[in-house]
Amino acid sequence: MTNDTPVQREYADHLLHEVLNGRMSRRELIVRASVFGLSATLVGQVLAACGSSGSSTSTTSPTASLSPKLGGTLKVAMPSPTVTVDPTTMYDTGSIAIAQMVAEYLVWVNNDLSLRPVLAAKWSPDSSAKVWTFNLRTGATFQDGKPFGADDVVATMDILLNPKTVSAALSAFQGILSQGGVVKVDDSTVEFHLDQPFADFPYIVASTNYDCLIMPKGYKVGTWQKNPVGTGAFKMTKFTAKQGATFAKNPTYWDTGKPYLDAVDVQFIEETQAQALALQSGSVDMMLSTPYQGAQALFTDPNVKVLTTPSTMMRSLHMRVDTEPFTDKRVRQALAYTLDRPAIIKNLFNDKASVGNDNVFAPLYPLSPKDVTQRAQDIAKAKQLLSDAGKSGVTMTLNVEEFEEVPQYATLLQQYAKQAGINLKLNQVTVTYWYGSGNNQPWLQAPMGITDWTFRGVPSQYFLPMYTSKGVWNSAQFKNSQFDKLAGQYDGTIDVATRKGYAKQMVEIMLDETPYIIGYWISVNRAMKQNVQGVTADPAEFIDLTTAFLA
Amino acid sequence: MGRLIVRRLLLVVPTLLLLSVLIFLMLGVVPGDPGRVKLGPYAPASAVAQYDHQIGYDRPLVERYGSWLGGFVVLHWGESWNTNQPVFSLTMQRLWASIQLAFVALVIIIPLAIVLGVTAALHRDGIADRIITVVSLSLTVVPEFVSGVVLIVLFVVGLKLFHFPAAPPPGSGPLTRLFYLILPAIPLMFVEMGYIARMARAGMIEALNMPYIRTATLNGLPRRRVVYGHALRNAMAPTVAVIGTQIGWLVGGLVVIERLFVYPGVGKLMADSATFKDFPVLESTVLVVAAIYMLSNLGADIIVAFLDPRVRYGR
Repeated sequence: MTNDTPVQREYADHLLHEVLNGRMSRRELIVRASVFGLSATLVGQVLAACGSSGSSTSTTSPTASLSPKLGGTLKVAMPSPTVTVDPTTMYDTGSIAIAQMVAEYLVWVNNDLSLRPVLAAKWSPDSSAKVWTFNLRTGATFQDGKPFGADDVVATMDILLNPKTVSAALSAFQGILSQGGVVKVDDSTVEFHLDQPFADFPYIVASTNYDCLIMPKGYKVGTWQKNPVGTGAFKMTKFTAKQGATFAKNPTYWDTGKPYLDAVDVQFIEETQAQALALQSGSVDMMLSTPYQGAQALFTDPNVKVLTTPSTMMRSLHMRVDTEPFTDKRVRQALAYTLDRPAIIKNLFNDKASVGNDNVFAPLYPLSPKDVTQRAQDIAKAKQLLSDAGKSGVTMTLNVEEFEEVPQYATLLQQYAKQAGINLKLNQVTVTYWYGSGNNQPWLQAPMGITDWTFRGVPSQYFLPMYTSKGVWNSAQFKNSQFDKLAGQYDGTIDVATRKGYAKQMVEIMLDETPYIIGYWISVNRAMKQNVQGVTADPAEFIDLTTAFLA
Repeated sequence: MGRLIVRRLLLVVPTLLLLSVLIFLMLGVVPGDPGRVKLGPYAPASAVAQYDHQIGYDRPLVERYGSWLGGFVVLHWGESWNTNQPVFSLTMQRLWASIQLAFVALVIIIPLAIVLGVTAALHRDGIADRIITVVSLSLTVVPEFVSGVVLIVLFVVGLKLFHFPAAPPPGSGPLTRLFYLILPAIPLMFVEMGYIARMARAGMIEALNMPYIRTATLNGLPRRRVVYGHALRNAMAPTVAVIGTQIGWLVGGLVVIERLFVYPGVGKLMADSATFKDFPVLESTVLVVAAIYMLSNLGADIIVAFLDPRVRYGR
């Protein structure tokens, strides 16, 4: 029995045509279907009509080849939260992981970018994708016994949309959803009235907008660490700042039978190297995230398994188009042509990354154009472009933040740039300095610099702030009205083929103008002991231990 | 001697005061502010300004210093700007952890280094001397994070003899604590070996060259008595002075070891509070560690005065 709306059925037809005409793969179909909230039955019907033998891998939750064993305590190492943990305002990896153990989202984004219902059981758009109806899960309760319902969703969204709360979620909602746009229809139904049509809206209230954990009505910002509330699989039993936290199984969790673990013991360890040593010595069972630099030994350790998943984490190198020597796009392109991208990936990540093509439509996104030429190293062309622009032998100063592999990346760039006669000077700064404060935020103002970006579920979350004229994080000061128009069209259109067309045009502009060099898309690794099951690597370094168990 | 002690103690207060002013001034110059750290990179400038105003960060420097000092002297050390923990208990807790680690390191290294230094001096230019000198010097120059990592890989991952991370679980007895702390203490011992053993050796050599030693030997005193009854006591004076200067570092300067072994000591607390602009914690930890430096130097000087009467009565 399906409760799909006519709009959803029409969309299913549309997707079927796309696949039959070879313009979409079955994997993409599953992702697009989940964004539109198509029921499993309907998706199954479409797949059958495609002639699919149902061999698509189910990535709705991590499937284990062994049957789950109940009990046990999982010990996890992660960096410490930098400040007091609050789900509505958090922004660092440690805080996010802690909050995600206890509270939940409406929707969870899987590793292949398909969506999994959590506190929202179903969702569907109207025909213009401007009003989205979310049917909430019934029978879920907060850990203090209070039942979960529409009031809690409305209250949480109000907090996030309120500028006074200073939530990171606000920038994700900007231009899409505003205060007053979230309406309770009944206790288990909520409607989102958007400011403009947005075909990918469910991502904006999903885990990728990481501050959107659902809090109970009446929640006061800043009180979470003392009174950790949520509907999630684990309750936080103890929190010692900068040292660790312990979690116990939630006996009233709505997904009966889960979690399998009795408890989780989190240790805060800052350095990757120290985390790796703790894993090797057996004092922890799992690292939240395992960057290659600092944990190389784990990748060849037979007692440890390292799961990897492609992600949309990347580093952008911006060049201000309004400042010399970058005003001529040939100079920007020239620098882009000096990069030996495969060599960079081998060097920095031991190949655990994908090649970037100076645009934000990462290979992982289903709608990314597949037929665009990949930029490769071409020193001769770089030199030619520079001399055409009259800038041979130009000097540039690159600001480099001391973050993970960024300094090594900059050093490689310097060597490559030299081959084309570019004198690239490096100015190393701390992360605190780079992001600055008040009127002084170098990452938005400096002529040239590298900025780190964590996982984004849809390309809009990149190109809206980075490339559009009104973008809040447009370090390159890129202003192109054609691009702005395409961006609006891309987000507002439901038809997949048309969207892909817009995407391709946007990519062509991004490549031609090259306000940003994007050299790679980092894959995320997660190292754990061999006996840890039911956990996958997560592209955003998020944690979901609901199905974890110790074999 | 009493006058010496009192004079030195009186010097502690103005020194700490001057230090507290310096820290304040330095933090005023360094970029970044607590509001930005607390609220994150996405918060608008107005929200950051509001938070800074709330914690009084935007008041004039002199006013902030005055109000901070007023609280500090009555042990109202305020709350951490990052984690809201009370600074006094946080600092004392971490300090106690660091003192335990320093204690384990010293308890092992002092006798060992003195024995080695004296042995080296007694067999001057012999094989024992050569070996001890070369080994102790080599170990001193190895950076702690290198020796630390090697030790962890060898003894924890490889031989599974010790526990990592090195923080003993709360409620452990003294023996358990000792066991946990041995491994992080070893890199410290490597570093200290050079200083203490070399100083013991030098002190011993100088003492043995003194005329009164020759007199005692010619008078027929057994060698044992000469060395251990007379020379040793005088050789210890410079050694104790060196140990005194090292205690401050062993308690408050171990940022690298604390990070590597994930040990919650005061050195890491200081470093973190500087990085994250957690001003109340930074001031308190710096002053506490500075006080330790000064008091341990004073303690060493008292012991030296006890050993050497010339110092006691002021040469």
